[in-house]
Amino acid sequence: MFLTSCSSIKKIETFFTPVERERLNLVEPVLPKLEKIKWIVITSENADEVFAKLEEQGIDPVLFGLSDNDYQLIAKNFSQIRHNLKTKSEIIKSYKEYYEPEKEK
Amino acid sequence: MIFGYAKMAITLVMIIGVGGAIAYVYKLRADNAVLKANNMVLEQSVESQKKVIEQQKKDFETILETNKKLTTLSNNLQKELNDLDKRFTKQGRDIGKTAIAKDKAIQRIINKASVMALRCVEISSGSPLTEKEINATKKSEINRECPSIANPNYVPY
Repeated sequence: MFLTSCSSIKKIETFFTPVERERLNLVEPVLPKLEKIKWIVITSENADEVFAKLEEQGIDPVLFGLSDNDYQLIAKNFSQIRHNLKTKSEIIKSYKEYYEPEKEK
Repeated sequence: MIFGYAKMAITLVMIIGVGGAIAYVYKLRADNAVLKANNMVLEQSVESQKKVIEQQKKDFETILETNKKLTTLSNNLQKELNDLDKRFTKQGRDIGKTAIAKDKAIQRIINKASVMALRCVEISSGSPLTEKEINATKKSEINRECPSIANPNYVPY
């Protein structure tokens, strides 16, 4: 015992710290079914007819309007928002798959 | 007398020599045991390093694949945005003038498109695709506002 402790070679020590991070586990928000909206095309020629029809249906004869150019812009804006929403959603999905992969069975 | 001292000295030297040899053998044994243990640790370490390198390789592949997937998605969505722009201006089309001439038809078209656009928002937010959307392959069956995300089996023709 006394002699073995005389060895001049030092023992190697290694350290392992296999600590797994807790999963974030956030609940994915579900977008409820969106309400259907109705567009009404109103021109200088059909305006009377459109307002008469609204009154007939018991709807207040008032319209919140957009010009044809602004309609195009709103359509493009929504397309951009969809684009961004989908890309962000995919990025979050990719991060989750990368950092919190399903454990192999 | 002198001979007696010499004999003692030789015996002492011999005892010391044998003792030294025994100590040396023990030392060698101890060294050997430590070396064996070190070797085992090193082997384990090499093995775990191999695993780390393998994991890094897998990670790089995943990163590349994910980037590729996102680039494709972004390109597809950009194409849809360009298509929307073209739909408004195709062949010198003026949606305002067309709406004056055919107000009812345009109203029907934009209401239909609006329903499709809302569905695109739902899909973008994670809503699962319906069977009908998945199986759509014809132009008449697709969601024209966002076919790249709503109709995975549709190939533009």
